[in-house]
Amino acid sequence: MMRLSHILLCVLCTTLLLYASGAAFGAERFPPPQFESGHELPLTITPPPRSPTYELIDMAVLLGALSLASWLALKKRSRRGIFYLTIFSLVYFGFWRKGCVCPIGAIQNVTLALFDSGYVIPVSVIFFFALPLVFTLFFGRTFCAAVCPLGAIQDLVLIHPLQLPRWLEYPLGLLGYVYLGAAVLFAATGSAFIICQYDPFVGFFRLSGSLEILIMGVCFLLIGLFIGRPYCRFFCPYGAILRILSWFSKWRVTTTPDECIQCRLCENACPFGAIQAPYTAPAPSNYRTGRIKLLVLTILFPFVIIAFGWAGTQLAPTFSRMNSRVRLAERIHLEETGRVEDTIDESDAFRATGQPIGELYDEAILIGKQFTRGSMFFGVFVGLVAMLKLTALTTRRTRINFEPDRSRCFACGRCFDYCPRERARGELTCGSKPHPTG
Amino acid sequence: MDQKETSQYNSNPDNAIRDQVRYRTAVRTAIVAGLFSAIVCVLLLSNHFRTSFSGPLESEELVRLKTLLLENTKDENLKNRIRELDSHLRNEYFQRQNYSRWGSYLLIGGIIIFLISVAKAIGYRKIFSAPQSIFNYQIATERNANLAFRSVIIMIAVLGAVTLLTITSSQNLTFTAGVEPEQITNIWPRFRGPDGLGISTYKNIPTRWNGSTGENILWKTKIPLPGENSPIIWGNKIFLTGANEKKREVYCLDAESGKLLWQKAVPTLPQAASEPPDVMEDTGFAAPTAVTDGQRIYAIFANGDVICLNFTGKIIWAGNLGIPDSIYGYATSLVMYQNLLIIKYDQATDEDGLSKLLALEGSSGKTVWEVKRPVANSWSTPIIINADTPEKARLITCADPLVIAYAPDTGAEIWRVKCMYGDVAPSPVYANGLVYVIRPNEELIAIRTNGHNDVTDSHIAWRGEEGIPDIASPLTNGKIVLLLSGGLITCYDAENGTHLWEKELEMDFNASPSLVGNRIYLMNTKGIMLIIEAGREFREITKCPLGENVNACPAFADGRIYLRGKKHLFCISEK
Repeated sequence: MMRLSHILLCVLCTTLLLYASGAAFGAERFPPPQFESGHELPLTITPPPRSPTYELIDMAVLLGALSLASWLALKKRSRRGIFYLTIFSLVYFGFWRKGCVCPIGAIQNVTLALFDSGYVIPVSVIFFFALPLVFTLFFGRTFCAAVCPLGAIQDLVLIHPLQLPRWLEYPLGLLGYVYLGAAVLFAATGSAFIICQYDPFVGFFRLSGSLEILIMGVCFLLIGLFIGRPYCRFFCPYGAILRILSWFSKWRVTTTPDECIQCRLCENACPFGAIQAPYTAPAPSNYRTGRIKLLVLTILFPFVIIAFGWAGTQLAPTFSRMNSRVRLAERIHLEETGRVEDTIDESDAFRATGQPIGELYDEAILIGKQFTRGSMFFGVFVGLVAMLKLTALTTRRTRINFEPDRSRCFACGRCFDYCPRERARGELTCGSKPHPTG
Repeated sequence: MDQKETSQYNSNPDNAIRDQVRYRTAVRTAIVAGLFSAIVCVLLLSNHFRTSFSGPLESEELVRLKTLLLENTKDENLKNRIRELDSHLRNEYFQRQNYSRWGSYLLIGGIIIFLISVAKAIGYRKIFSAPQSIFNYQIATERNANLAFRSVIIMIAVLGAVTLLTITSSQNLTFTAGVEPEQITNIWPRFRGPDGLGISTYKNIPTRWNGSTGENILWKTKIPLPGENSPIIWGNKIFLTGANEKKREVYCLDAESGKLLWQKAVPTLPQAASEPPDVMEDTGFAAPTAVTDGQRIYAIFANGDVICLNFTGKIIWAGNLGIPDSIYGYATSLVMYQNLLIIKYDQATDEDGLSKLLALEGSSGKTVWEVKRPVANSWSTPIIINADTPEKARLITCADPLVIAYAPDTGAEIWRVKCMYGDVAPSPVYANGLVYVIRPNEELIAIRTNGHNDVTDSHIAWRGEEGIPDIASPLTNGKIVLLLSGGLITCYDAENGTHLWEKELEMDFNASPSLVGNRIYLMNTKGIMLIIEAGREFREITKCPLGENVNACPAFADGRIYLRGKKHLFCISEK
């Protein structure tokens, strides 16, 4: 079976890659024909904004999906229900709504609205950003479980999960925070919405996109065949926020519906490595080592934060080149000083506006200064996360039972079927054996 | 590790048989779906490459027919063939796109079935691992946490290394200079240097050379067309212009080797007059010195052509102001203030109302402001004083009959002094709150610059009447003012106008004097540089022959002098 599945997976890999190249058609354009018969080409029109009614429907669907996901995960404890809701979310929020607006990208809209008074953020975007956060505070990551289309597409391709060692899982978990910091920085400076720009799956939802991003998406899905939800676990910036909030959630998913009988059948149930083993108290030698580590980290804490902040400011010129005005200013400067001989469409278009080049330079320098400040905060944020991560790894929490890690549990419900208590409950409530799904 | 594995549903034989059947079905479905997806994908890929590499307008046949049409533009049959082919190719293209879209849907369907089948197949053979009989979770948790701690530190180190690599390889945002920062000091961007005062910031300028023997002549390069303008320098590039009746050119030379990097001819501009202007032979067609802001070079010629080029010689913009009514030919050099190119375009008489002052945006050539000047034609070049403080910056212009100070950013007149007369060629100089202007052959006049409106009666500090030139501009270091008139050198006290000394030499000077430290460089028309001390009495230091007649002013850089002779540009550097 293993050999056969590997062969089939290789076929799938090739297929997905080829699909990526096929889906990249949307970008191709060529000039329209020149008519001499008097035929007038239709004017290019800008599509009207989405109707408010549809926005209301979207918000209602989100609210309903989150409520249903929370009920299915916490009350009904139905993996099957979560699975079907996942498919619905993929179809509705992914393929039907083409992945936009999504709470992950809404981070940038909210950030831009906070830093740019001229940007009016739609109510629906605020709703999409805030509602999953509120639900997480009450019910854990039920948004990730069955509502997020990005999570859904990865969840559905997870056919042969492999456990990732903890020593690899923890450091990779830092990347999501780095991505979050960078996304906030670029959005705050009005430079780029990198979450949307580098969304690996939106190309599938829209059947269009740049070849590079489609290939990136295919790679994520191929990895996702074996490593559960790689984007959600290691890159998702919204997931990074949800990880923090889920620590404070009032209710959360548990493997067992009532009491743990210490059967240990669920120890490898989670494909995302979220189930933690019991832990009572450290050995005296480990306790001493842990205290020394904690002391060293406490002493180093301010220095590391300052170092990261400094490194951030040094990255400012590189970051600021993500801004189109800065790039344009640099290009114009290259052309003006003769370092390049040709011009590009953007520089020609700028010159056609008649705006003085000096103004563009001043604007670019101003943006550069914003990046210097913003990059410092970005560096401090990453340093803070890294130090807190290390601090968390030196401290131990006692656990009597096997239980899901609050921050890493996606509330997908896969572990339910591994618990004999759950199976007994299922037989009592339904009179039949629950079927493992997915 | 002691690990037992048990199948979930193998206890009941009926269940086992049923699952075996389902398993096989799932596997076969997966194979079929996989093969189907692969075939669809191959077809899509083939279609993709055909579509992307042969767009409807790239058809060889279409291009060939269009080429034929260029040769025979009235061939209606050919036109119809082109139309039919164009229509056919476009239809085919969109059909392929349609094909691709539907293929994508089929592919998605195939992949979904494939995934479900594989997942089902795996589900039917799913092995649940039994709990380990003896296992110390305490030790495992400790070990995992320690490993994770180390790996997080490694990750931080990796992030740090990437950051350092990025920092070292990235450049800061710079938009001001056209050359590398270390080269910016090597600038002589306009006539008579950075402030138009003829003062070098370098002290290490050669005092010994001989053009005939080649002593300390680093290189000399023949300039294709004649011109009385002076060289300007920015970094490792030297710019100058040349022109005759028919051609006008801008030259760029490499400062190290003297190699002519490029020469750019001014194209025939639609506004330009077809006839060349009447100019005096000594003035020529390229008397005005060019100017650079470090990003572009600007040049003006006797026929009114103004051109802007970038440092590679590409024309950014060009225009023509009309042939100026100038009795000797136009000779006023260009001036830059911030992003403005300032052109003093004096012509005819003060009553004709043709003289004007223009400020063009450097990057586009668009007129930012323009003011009429109630003056006659003149040849002096303006200077800008207090350029570092915009509210106090003044553009000082001299022409018969007025010295006028303007606000260089708006063109608004600030003050004027009615004290000039005749053909004004010497340019003004400035030091310590006094502007020194020359009323040709008659007076040296010192004017206080803090006035408003007409300050003729209130702001003239002093006048001098000895040794007044008609071509060469004065030189001041704030202590003395030096004049060159014919072969007569005259020195005044800069503060009160006291006549300090004068020296009659058998020489003739057209080039304006220059100051290097406490040395004054005086280039006569025969190409002999007389170097004297800048003091309250005449003291000659040395004479250096160039071996070629000179009218242009020298340009100074780090350890070098660039001198334009009648035919060559010389670079002098002590080896």
